[in-house]
Amino acid sequence: MPTVFLLLVLSTSTALAQAPAAKNPRAGDPNAIRAGLARFQLSCAECHGIDAKGVFGPDLTTLWAAGVSEERTFDIVRRGIQGSSMPASRMPDDEIWAVLAYLRTLAPSVPLPPPIGDAQHGEQLFWARCGSCHRVGSRGGYLGPDLSRIGSSRSRETLIRDIRNASASIVPGYRPVTLVAADGRRIRGVARNEDAFSIQVMDTRDQLRGYLKSTLREIVDEPRSLMPDFGPDQLSERDLDDIVRFLGTLGRADPGRR
Amino acid sequence: MRAMARLTWLTALCAVVSLAAVSLVAQNGSSAITGQDILAGLTNPGRWLTYSGEYNGRRHSPLTQITPANVGRLAPQWTFQAETLALNRGFEATPLAVDGILYVTGSFNYAWAIDARTGRPFWKYRRELPNNLTYGASAPVNRGFAILGDRLFMVTLDAHLLAMDSRTGGVIWDTVLADYRVGYSATLAPLVVKDKIIVGISGGEYPTRGFLDAYDPQTGNRVWRFYTVPGAGEKGSETWPNTDVLARGGGGTWMTGSYDPALNLIYWGTGNPNPDYYGSDREGDNLYTCSLVALDADTGALKWHFQFTPHDLHDWDANQVPVLADLTMGGSLRKVVMMANRNGFFYVLDRSTGKLLLAKPFGEQRWAREIGVDGRPIVLNETGEKECIPDAHGSTNFMPPSFDPGRGLFFVTARETCSAYVPMKPEFKPGTSTTGGGVRRVSGNTYGALRAIDPTTGERKWEFRYPTPTLAGVMSTASGLVFAGDSEGNFTAVDARTGKPLWHYPTGASIWGAAAMTFMLDGRQHVVIASGNTLVAFALLQP
Repeated sequence: MPTVFLLLVLSTSTALAQAPAAKNPRAGDPNAIRAGLARFQLSCAECHGIDAKGVFGPDLTTLWAAGVSEERTFDIVRRGIQGSSMPASRMPDDEIWAVLAYLRTLAPSVPLPPPIGDAQHGEQLFWARCGSCHRVGSRGGYLGPDLSRIGSSRSRETLIRDIRNASASIVPGYRPVTLVAADGRRIRGVARNEDAFSIQVMDTRDQLRGYLKSTLREIVDEPRSLMPDFGPDQLSERDLDDIVRFLGTLGRADPGRR
Repeated sequence: MRAMARLTWLTALCAVVSLAAVSLVAQNGSSAITGQDILAGLTNPGRWLTYSGEYNGRRHSPLTQITPANVGRLAPQWTFQAETLALNRGFEATPLAVDGILYVTGSFNYAWAIDARTGRPFWKYRRELPNNLTYGASAPVNRGFAILGDRLFMVTLDAHLLAMDSRTGGVIWDTVLADYRVGYSATLAPLVVKDKIIVGISGGEYPTRGFLDAYDPQTGNRVWRFYTVPGAGEKGSETWPNTDVLARGGGGTWMTGSYDPALNLIYWGTGNPNPDYYGSDREGDNLYTCSLVALDADTGALKWHFQFTPHDLHDWDANQVPVLADLTMGGSLRKVVMMANRNGFFYVLDRSTGKLLLAKPFGEQRWAREIGVDGRPIVLNETGEKECIPDAHGSTNFMPPSFDPGRGLFFVTARETCSAYVPMKPEFKPGTSTTGGGVRRVSGNTYGALRAIDPTTGERKWEFRYPTPTLAGVMSTASGLVFAGDSEGNFTAVDARTGKPLWHYPTGASIWGAAAMTFMLDGRQHVVIASGNTLVAFALLQP
């Protein structure tokens, strides 16, 4: 725990040292905020949510309260985060600054509470409860998304939602399906790809399989994720905090994200 | 040695004789294409002479060797791979077929003459392009040649029109259409109409002013120009707020139109007003953008216009191929022009007058309730903020539809998508893109479909679905087949009567903007489709 915290502090100061010295030249400019809102909706909202509170990408409304500098955020937008779904942007500088000026207006005024949960215990729980389907590094299953860098792309709130209510948002490439073979056999898995005539799945035994639709009786689009909902009866609040704390340490490129 | 020398001499003599024979054929004009040949459309089974095959834009072949019963035996004959790579876009052209030779253009203004038997090129052309292309850099595609006599005509990404020698690919003349540095480009297949080459322009995403031109095929001199955005004081200029805006009003003409020889009218679709998504400084209907214009083929004079999307805010260009037919509607035979428009409605107009005869949605509609009797959409939801509306590619796009007159069916690739539009005021600088905002994808049901429409009622007869929206075009044949494709790369033949898939071939790359063509060669019907950076030719397996 203390080690993790120290790492965060260290990487924060390194990041600050490398970041451009200039402050946001468009901070507080109403025109910039208006333009930043439009640009955010176009380029950022699909992953970060129309309210910037996070969908596939993290909650951006807590950036400032978490101590992330604008220069560092500018840098992330410009360069992206390698290995995550955050791409590098080709927006002109003044548009990035406009987006940041807009994000400033969404910031909560109170500082965030300190991080909670025991990452070490979270890691043990993760391998006991999640590792048969999810990978971290070279260990774990294949059926669910690889979580090696999840800490850099999901906020704590998003992670909690995804664990408590797994079907609320299903990551592209993990659409749950049941294939009904001609003999009535049912194959469960996630659709990795599909065209008009065939479907490519990973089945629940982690095997890649391709099927011609003409040989299947039916393809059932399952409304629920293959991942069960871990409600409070399955996972206590405390254990949830521990797992989320552990996940938050994974692949963290931005120390301010939590 | 002596024997060898004699053999060499004999070989040379044979070569000279065969060359002479070839040039004799050319001199006899058997392969020199006349205006009559083009007018005859697809009646010569060995030829496909215009982008759509015929002036009527139907892309419907009379060939019947490949049928619903035997299409299962359709097999690839060859694949031609272009050495040019356009990111996410490849071949969008329809090859022209002339007696065993295919003439085709590729991305970055490459072009080839190809042996239709083997896919082997006779010659290759590559244009040296400037490194500061504007619109041409973002869409480095080309949709094909036009042909007349022994000349090919091709437009370029730096907005020129070239006449080329069909035997060599050598450039005969090179005419500037517009200044590419402002934002202009050209991508369409020109259309030969009588003694003129009709050419449109691309670049409506830049501060440009669209036009349609006619050129002399011999000299490259311009004969007439019709501006799709009127000049100050001209009729239609009252639909724009001021002259500054007029000068950069957009209205590209980037897809090949159609022609009615009896009425001597050219039908051409026009593109979006500029900026695409930001309309606050161009209040008004913005004529003649997002319209169909009917022009006198000899003079370019406007006979009539019909605007599908007044004051468009979605980049819903009307650059679809206008399809001409004679249909019985309301008890009388009408000369009509049909367009399944990017705005989601299928329109039938009287092609003599431009009068609206029918407008029915062919896509899922949340943008407009209906098209009023005055031809204007009754808009419910302009930006998609309340409820999502089709994305900027629209409910269909420039990928060609087809029309089967025997079965009375219009076949179109429909796209079902879910988006919201975000306008942003752009800065107007020559050479700088001014889309004025953009499009946000909203989660919702998205898919593609090949749909058959009865054009006399607008009723959907069947659909064949794809898992994702697609930009592949359509060709149909008199034997009752519809050839279509999808983003996943399948080239598919479906039964024209039912929409049931009968055959498909995974080409390995998205079929994007291209539609098939067909011709007879050595007694065998060939079908060619462009997919990614390849052309693939198919014919029935020999029995």
